[in-house]
Amino acid sequence: MSWRRAVCLSISVVFAISLCAQTPVARGPGRANTREFLGLGPAPDAVAAERGEKLYGPNCGFCHGAKANGAEGPDLVRSPLVLHDEKSELIGPVIRQGRADKGMPAFAGFTDPQLYDIGQFLHMRVELAVNRGLYKVQNIVTGNAKAGEQYFAGAGRCTECHSATGNLAHVGTKFQPSDLQQAFLYPTARGFQSSGPKVSKVTVTLSSGQAVSGALKRLDDFNVSLYDAAGDYHSYAIASGVKVDVEDKLAGHRELLKHYTDADMHNVTAYLATLK
Amino acid sequence: MNFLRLTVFVAALVPAICPAQMLNPKKLLDQPTDTWPTYNGDYSGRRFSTLNQITAANIPSLSLRWMYRIANVGPQRGVGSPSIKSTPLMVNGILYFTIPDHVWAVDARTGEELWRYDWVDKGGHLVGNRGVGMYGNWLYFLGPDGWFISLNAKDGKERWRKKVADEKLQYFTTMAPMVVGNHIIVGVGGDAMDVPGYLEARNPETGDLQWRWNSEPRVGEPGAETWPNKGAMEHGGGMTWLPGTYDPELNLLYWGTGNPNPVFAGQGRKGTNLWTCSIVALNPDTGKLVWYFQASPHDTHDWDNVETPVLFDAEVAGKPRKLLAQAARNGFFFVLDRTNGKSILTAPFVGTNWAKGIDAKGQPIPDPAKEPKVDGSLIDIPGGGGTNWMPPSLDPTTGLFYVNATRGYSLGYLTDTDERPEGYGGSGRGLWSEHILEAIDTKTGKARWIHAYPSSGGGGLGGPGILSTAGKVVFTGDYAGNLIGFDSANGKMLWHFQMGQSLGNGPMTYELDGTQYLVAGAGDTLFAFASTH
Repeated sequence: MSWRRAVCLSISVVFAISLCAQTPVARGPGRANTREFLGLGPAPDAVAAERGEKLYGPNCGFCHGAKANGAEGPDLVRSPLVLHDEKSELIGPVIRQGRADKGMPAFAGFTDPQLYDIGQFLHMRVELAVNRGLYKVQNIVTGNAKAGEQYFAGAGRCTECHSATGNLAHVGTKFQPSDLQQAFLYPTARGFQSSGPKVSKVTVTLSSGQAVSGALKRLDDFNVSLYDAAGDYHSYAIASGVKVDVEDKLAGHRELLKHYTDADMHNVTAYLATLK
Repeated sequence: MNFLRLTVFVAALVPAICPAQMLNPKKLLDQPTDTWPTYNGDYSGRRFSTLNQITAANIPSLSLRWMYRIANVGPQRGVGSPSIKSTPLMVNGILYFTIPDHVWAVDARTGEELWRYDWVDKGGHLVGNRGVGMYGNWLYFLGPDGWFISLNAKDGKERWRKKVADEKLQYFTTMAPMVVGNHIIVGVGGDAMDVPGYLEARNPETGDLQWRWNSEPRVGEPGAETWPNKGAMEHGGGMTWLPGTYDPELNLLYWGTGNPNPVFAGQGRKGTNLWTCSIVALNPDTGKLVWYFQASPHDTHDWDNVETPVLFDAEVAGKPRKLLAQAARNGFFFVLDRTNGKSILTAPFVGTNWAKGIDAKGQPIPDPAKEPKVDGSLIDIPGGGGTNWMPPSLDPTTGLFYVNATRGYSLGYLTDTDERPEGYGGSGRGLWSEHILEAIDTKTGKARWIHAYPSSGGGGLGGPGILSTAGKVVFTGDYAGNLIGFDSANGKMLWHFQMGQSLGNGPMTYELDGTQYLVAGAGDTLFAFASTH
């Protein structure tokens, strides 16, 4: 069916950081409420955690690892006792009394506030592991910018629509590299649009031959709606003889997705990041 | 009726003088049309109904009989408006369905509410709840925070509750408990904190533990060689969060297991990581593993392999065989011999560039180059996978396996490069994707027909399940609020109804007073349809 072929844009899924294993499509909670979605307890006290890290390092790190994820002694990030603790009510007594049966000495000298601080450091370590809303994509500018530039002008045929001094000028300062990589691969996915699907131009040709064009509002297998240039709303049932054409500016981007090697992708990212 | 007599009746599979709500246990061994006794409608997981009242010829007269809209719940913590993901049970004219923290009983003829049960959770994810299980007069429900709860079907009053998982360790519980003999099978979810998966059988009368199967071996056991060390094995994931299927003749329980942990960071768990991302066959009386098939060895893409293992019988090379089919989240369609787990067929139904081939056992071989990388790797499957938890359907009359799939691309990033990563250890980012309904030929693994949804905007989140029927109509939904009837043979659209919210559960059907009903859940509303005649 020709109109359906034309409508290739569909739903871009920004599943990213917020999605959990059981969530099928985009609508994950944002970074802000990942804690709420995961049903985590009270957020750790960052100031106390910073103080606690200074106490933890020399006293505990040699057994439990600098990041508390285990060394000679057990991993404390995934410790049920730590996960059940809130304000060192469980952690505190273990530090003070030690676990002689498991070779852990007693640290009787810590004050209550110090125990609280150490506990908050551990809770911060848990937070950084469990709260995927806080994960940061690391340095992704690993490609060869020169090779990326060649791809941009050559095999990628990007210059047919884009220019480093025109519509992509300063793109390297406008976006974080991780957003830039996602956005050049598929612009509606993230970055170039602040939210929602890109506004697409649609033309509906009725069986009478009359054609109406405008900004697509909604399209499914049965109905299409749009706003025309005057801002008037139109809605049509997609019956036989009705043709729907959605302008598809992203066909080139979709086609390239089939062909990029990971090296091509990293090279183009490196090149675009130089467009300051 | 006293407790002892009831127990005897259930054990003897005799309905006798039942209270009005009681589920006759024989229905569980059948493919009943007057009852929908379990999550998938029967043990096979086919979601195929022999009802044939609704056909291509009369489907224009299929119309709304009633709606039931959830009221007085409000936004649910971290997920927003209530969303029905459960498949209702229908027993003796009453529908039982759920959302996280809530259970309802409504009249299957009218949608009138009979009772409602509210649970107050102390944590856990409210991402979904798949429904209840039923045994005699009793219903079984999971609170999101690891509570296994039994209710009296008559009035929704709680009988008892048992703790089956610790929400502080980031376990959460969403599945519809599954009844097999005198076992209530309960699985768990949760992969935020690297906890081990397991599956339990519980006593229907007391809720006490009968057996527990662990998703990972213990040190020294077979399978332990697929993990680098005890620590990795003890934090290895493999959650059991969707109901499985059961073959009463073979007395085998089939279950899909989730991804290994840490989810995206595989450097601390080198090896194939059994029995994560697998289909396992267990003895339901002992919980002992009989065979396994690993769909994603050493998964690093969050591709839980929990999708329904659908049971069917068909000829292979002229011989009748007992088979199992699954459309997996990793993009492959598998057909196995369900007596022994041997591969019959492995074929991609969407892109699968994460695999560099298929091994002699029919298992995909992961390509290390396509694991999540610090600077990103490009995968030709969307982040949520080629499909997800939404129930598929298999129509034995067409030999087609219907699955709501998604094709497209995503990026995989490694964010935790420690030699002992924790949590997810990485993330994914979506690119272009497109939702399709695919009818896969179970003999060849190739698509007989594909319907691509052109949806743009409207309708919101969906998770459309599928029902096939002997009336040669397949019912499912798009992501734009339409419930759609397709011709099962060729994918022609025959009928649709705009529900205003997208189909979020598996549609189900039953016959009542000589009328075939179709029931579907969309957002906070249950819709019931029937033909006028």
